[in-house]
Amino acid sequence: MALLEVEDLTIGYQSQRGFLKAVEGVSFSLDKGRSLGFVGESGCGKTTLGMALMRLLPPNGRIREGRILFDGQDLLEKTDEEMRQVRWQKMAMIFQTAMNALNPVHRVNDQIAEAILTHNPSLGKQVAYKQVEGLSRLVGLSKHRLRDYPHQYSGGMKQRAIIAMALACQPKLIIADEPTTALDVIVQDQILEEIKNIQKEFDISIIFISHDISIVADVSHDIGIMYAGQLVEYGAREEVFESPMHPYTKALLSSYPTLTGEKAQLMPIPGEAPDLIHPPSGCRFFDRCAGARASCRTNPLVWLEITPTHKVFCYQCGRQCGR
Amino acid sequence: MSGKSLDNRRVQKFHWMSRFLSGWAIFRQSFLGKIGLTLLALFALMALCSFIPPLVDPMYQPMAGVDPEISTVTGPSTRHWLGTDFMGRDLLSQLLAGARVAFMVGVSAAFMSVFLGTAIGMIAGYMGKFADTLLMRLADIIMVMPALVVLLMLAALFGQLSIWFIVFFIALFRWPGVSRVIRAQTLSLKHRPFIEAARVAGASHLRIIFRHITPNVLPLSFLYMTFQVTSAIIIEAALAFLGFGDPRTISWGMMLQWVWKTGHMFNAPYWLLPPGICISLITLSFYMLGRAMDEVLDPRLRKEGQTD
Amino acid sequence: MELWIYTSRRLVQIVIIFFVILTVLFLLFRLAPGDPVSRMVDPNLTPEDAQLLIEELGLDQPVWIQYFYYLKNFLTGHFGFSFHYGRPVVQIIGDRLPNTILLFTTSIILSALVGIFLGKIASWHKGEKTDTCLTVGALVTHTVFLPWLALIMIWVFAYKLGWFPITGMISEEVWLDPDAGLWPKSVDILHHMVLPLTTLFLIHFGSYLLIMRTSMLETLREDYILTARAKGLPEKVIRNHHAAPNAALPVVTSVGLSLAFSINGGALTETVFTWPGIGRELVFSVSHNDYPLAQASFLLIAAVVLVSNLVVDILYAYLDPRIRY
Repeated sequence: MALLEVEDLTIGYQSQRGFLKAVEGVSFSLDKGRSLGFVGESGCGKTTLGMALMRLLPPNGRIREGRILFDGQDLLEKTDEEMRQVRWQKMAMIFQTAMNALNPVHRVNDQIAEAILTHNPSLGKQVAYKQVEGLSRLVGLSKHRLRDYPHQYSGGMKQRAIIAMALACQPKLIIADEPTTALDVIVQDQILEEIKNIQKEFDISIIFISHDISIVADVSHDIGIMYAGQLVEYGAREEVFESPMHPYTKALLSSYPTLTGEKAQLMPIPGEAPDLIHPPSGCRFFDRCAGARASCRTNPLVWLEITPTHKVFCYQCGRQCGR
Repeated sequence: MSGKSLDNRRVQKFHWMSRFLSGWAIFRQSFLGKIGLTLLALFALMALCSFIPPLVDPMYQPMAGVDPEISTVTGPSTRHWLGTDFMGRDLLSQLLAGARVAFMVGVSAAFMSVFLGTAIGMIAGYMGKFADTLLMRLADIIMVMPALVVLLMLAALFGQLSIWFIVFFIALFRWPGVSRVIRAQTLSLKHRPFIEAARVAGASHLRIIFRHITPNVLPLSFLYMTFQVTSAIIIEAALAFLGFGDPRTISWGMMLQWVWKTGHMFNAPYWLLPPGICISLITLSFYMLGRAMDEVLDPRLRKEGQTD
Repeated sequence: MELWIYTSRRLVQIVIIFFVILTVLFLLFRLAPGDPVSRMVDPNLTPEDAQLLIEELGLDQPVWIQYFYYLKNFLTGHFGFSFHYGRPVVQIIGDRLPNTILLFTTSIILSALVGIFLGKIASWHKGEKTDTCLTVGALVTHTVFLPWLALIMIWVFAYKLGWFPITGMISEEVWLDPDAGLWPKSVDILHHMVLPLTTLFLIHFGSYLLIMRTSMLETLREDYILTARAKGLPEKVIRNHHAAPNAALPVVTSVGLSLAFSINGGALTETVFTWPGIGRELVFSVSHNDYPLAQASFLLIAAVVLVSNLVVDILYAYLDPRIRY
């Protein structure tokens, strides 16, 4: 049985202009020890999705529909107090804006130990701080720097501290939201390597969220491409990269010369993402798609299975394959 | 060339107008701002009405008028709606005259301090280097000095202070807060492309300051003016309360001094309450006005907790 | 270690600023209309005593030599004699200083702590009735005219209800009683202190509350608060342990910025309640033309302002680990 199963999830924000559907009808599942990457440009709903999994949406955010089955339990049925127990203990997070994710007035080891002690109060302070030292060794952080304050750390060290913190309670799932965005390329590679090793060692499931398809390609078994709140293509890494089906995926991939080689600036795809308060009918990529036909607007979209592990959400692709 | 600059000016005017209107729209949503403005309108009305009682009867002169039949403290009556003070002077006309003085002191001191603060802030920000260091050090020193205490010391040295001297001194003490903000704003403007362009085009320093920087810092100056009014009124009232006000002008602080010093504070609430309530309310309303204007100028404060 | 360097640098600055204030005061003293001798020398002194005092103050010397006499006398603590009390001014202000510091520090610490606490509560109940009541209450008490509030306090709590003494700091029957120990004396002072302290507290806590509330609402939007939530910490821990220490920093800054305001308020409060402090002594001496006393009180107040500013800055550096001078 899958560790995480998300069915038909719809999430939105109440804004002054109306209800903004940031994520619509997203379904996927993740097995233990596997990693899944979500890619899309900013505003496509990938961060909202990550936050919703931990039920950490801002006050005006709502989960409208769907189910989140995690470890056999429906997270949306849980009370706030029960949810608090799930957080970090079973599901931890590595945050997008790493620079501010640590509290500036507390020492780093206190912040990591706090996570341990909150969920295992019986452990005792000494054991907890010993564990913090162990974690720091694991992520390559000198234990002599543990009593520092966050502002004394470099960006890479902060990110390592956050990873150590995420591992503190040995969670089953870690959601990594743009874990390396603010870092320079060399540190970025080191951190990704670290995450990969840890995943193998502890058999943790990881959800990667990034705008950078090359990062996701580096670390994920499965990949989901998101556009304007919807999942548009989903499949095993090799399938998505070697035979991308959706025009948006193709556009994303063409902006990188090679998967493992030098990174280039994401080439802008002409046009803008649609308004999510009043989304257009039919395919949302219509306005920016080179191969769009009038029928894309009118015909209902369905998921098309290309292989058992690879599917795409595109009317044109369906016609081509059906022919 | 001249036609073009005229065009520019028109565009700028239009820009100001639309900025004002959109600001007003935000301001109108602010509950505090509306209350503040209403209260201020009432006080302005009081100040305007202060000219009426002396016209009705000379005994209603706030300072010199004495009721021929009363020479002591009396409670409210049809003849004296708020009662009379220890000399038989009408309290209502004193209260109305106090509103006039409060506005005069508050607005003129605020205007002067904002003028000084804006000028000094722009000079410090624009000139930089030595002038900047010197002026900002001076601002630091003045900022920590308690204005009331210094004014008391000046009273010890120079004897009775006139109301304009007091106003001028309050202004001298209140400019540093303004100049810090204006300096920061000037610094950020200084390296914007349009200023650089003007400099390359050969505009003089004065022209750059007055033509290009001033229009951009003025809205901020006006915001600070409302806060300055508050503190000016309080300082003047406190000085008058302690007995060092201008004896030729009647202010609410002075009314309180009289009720306190003549020992009537326990038996004449009709005398003790109105001036205190007036000072407190006028400061409150200027303060609320300032906060509402803050919201107009600082979008971060507008809707707290609204993400996306 | 760096904090010590910073502190000593600031102390040097304070000395320089103080020197400037001294000099300006001397210039104003010479510029002011009237005879400098009659300002500094009590007309009731015998001619011999007066002559001695004139020589000690250097008032018979040329102006620029007088300046050095003035500085020397300041450094050695010779401020002249008070006309009213007939005692050396140094003794009088020395007596008054502890009283002022007691009232001033207690009121600032109390109002800052309560302001921080209530501001935290207001922000937590944002938009609810609690928040509205606290915010409006803070706005109103913050803008009330202080001397008037003091008079109202006396009128209601001392005169009408009789709960507290009307003015002063001590009652003679307690202090003249040879059997009275430390305890009844302290209780007596506290009893006298309640009204002035409450007055100062009411005036000051409002602005701290409003700043704390805004700052707390801003802090709650920070990333590290999201981290704390994700860590599964209880809301109470997030509020008290993660948000509040960060949000309280601007309050500390504003305590420093409003010190001048607090000193003004302190002088007014001392005067209305006849609390025997320096502020009251300044007002009293100015209205009784006791220039030596006024001058010394003023200089002492200036020193108190400068030093308490430094104290607040050091406190800030201590509370915010990011600040290392």
